[in-house]
Amino acid sequence: MSNIPAELKYTKDHEWAKLEGDIVTVGITDFAQNSLGDIVYVELPNIGDNIEKEGTFGVVESIKSASDLYSPLTGEIVEVNEDLNDSPDLLNEDAYTNWIMKIKISNEDEFNSLLSASDYKPLCEE
Amino acid sequence: MNKTSLYEAHLKLNAKMAEFAGFEMPIQYAGVKSEVQAVREACGVFDVSHMGEFFVTGADAQKFVDYLITNDFLNAQMNKAVYSPLCREDGTTIDDLIAYKLEENKVLICVNAANIDKDWNWIESKKSNFNITLENKSEAYSLLAVQGPETEKHMTSLGFKDLESFEYYSAKEFEIDGDKYILARTGYTGEDGFEIFASHDLIQKTWAKLMDQGATPCGLASRDVLRLEVCYPLYGHELNDNLTPLDAALKWTVKLNKNEFIGKGALADHTPTHRLAKLSIEKGIPREGYDILNDNNEVIGKVTSGTMSVVLGKGIALGLIKRDKFPENKVFKIQIRKNIVDATYHTKAFVNGGHK
Repeated sequence: MSNIPAELKYTKDHEWAKLEGDIVTVGITDFAQNSLGDIVYVELPNIGDNIEKEGTFGVVESIKSASDLYSPLTGEIVEVNEDLNDSPDLLNEDAYTNWIMKIKISNEDEFNSLLSASDYKPLCEE
Repeated sequence: MNKTSLYEAHLKLNAKMAEFAGFEMPIQYAGVKSEVQAVREACGVFDVSHMGEFFVTGADAQKFVDYLITNDFLNAQMNKAVYSPLCREDGTTIDDLIAYKLEENKVLICVNAANIDKDWNWIESKKSNFNITLENKSEAYSLLAVQGPETEKHMTSLGFKDLESFEYYSAKEFEIDGDKYILARTGYTGEDGFEIFASHDLIQKTWAKLMDQGATPCGLASRDVLRLEVCYPLYGHELNDNLTPLDAALKWTVKLNKNEFIGKGALADHTPTHRLAKLSIEKGIPREGYDILNDNNEVIGKVTSGTMSVVLGKGIALGLIKRDKFPENKVFKIQIRKNIVDATYHTKAFVNGGHK
């Protein structure tokens, strides 16, 4: 069973988002890390880049496949989780404490339109 | 879709299943990394029952197989296994296979699952001048590959005897309490190991025993990492219908000094159009189809297989380079999405397997 924290928001592409002030922290869900298997590489975005909602901001790779990451929101990338450069498997260990990027958003309505945990849950059923 | 005799066993182990060559096959169980490590350090078991088994019997069995393949079969000792490409008259590659000299008049040929029909039709069409019987027993046999340094111990526990004297790349028929097996000390991982050909019910029993003995079930994903770490080619990647074995660093398997064989004339005259390169990168994973570039950022070839090496912790790749573009300075780069990264050229396999 996938872990889907109730306090987070989600996308259909299996990213999670958490809002604090005007900063949104973004990662991949437990379901995503489990489907990928052993994660061996994360391509992180550049700090300072502007990203569109649903634009690709990076790649997570398992041994078998490479999967694009899609930004849940529009904004400016203000921080990336450098720990993932050396330890991409942190995403397998805990996909929620190990975030991928933080973005500064200008439109809070966009955040509110993301999926709730209960909306997201059916997307994790096989 | 076809299922192997172990399909239910895979589901019970919660394997991730996917289609491969028309079969629903286990891709991974606990995880690719742990499965690779099991094979390099202990013992892993693969269900490779999708592969094809052809039997050639009769007075000309050895002569016929020697005529079909580019490597030397006639001069191989009794019970030896011979790896070889199977080529057309023009030298292009139909498949690669292992031929096992089981008896004076009996040869087993093991072929890739995706090529069973293609190989069968080809081999059938070539047999008319030989005193042989050809049988396709692919559906009657299941096949396990038991691989890793602790394999001999596991095989002994299964009841196979005198394995210390069983040479690498050889095969023998075994009978234990009336049960018949063909046992071969071959594999696709670079490690010591055995392949067990037997009926479906015997393989089901053998699989269950190996699981009880603590061998690790391994899927096709780890098999691909293992073979790439030791730089074994895979048909459809490094080898294909349009290239000769000489284009894929397999000159050692083309014996131009032996008797007449299919493709001999063409291969004797052929100047290879490609060279195989072994490359590694520090960050990211080179994937099949990615461009390989020289130090002027000119495209000179493509990645044919790529993965993350579990042993090295680096991205590794085999790639076919256009021969006239092969850089003398051995400077290679690989384009990964929008980035061009430096690649290290390797003259030897990425990992030394531990086979005898």
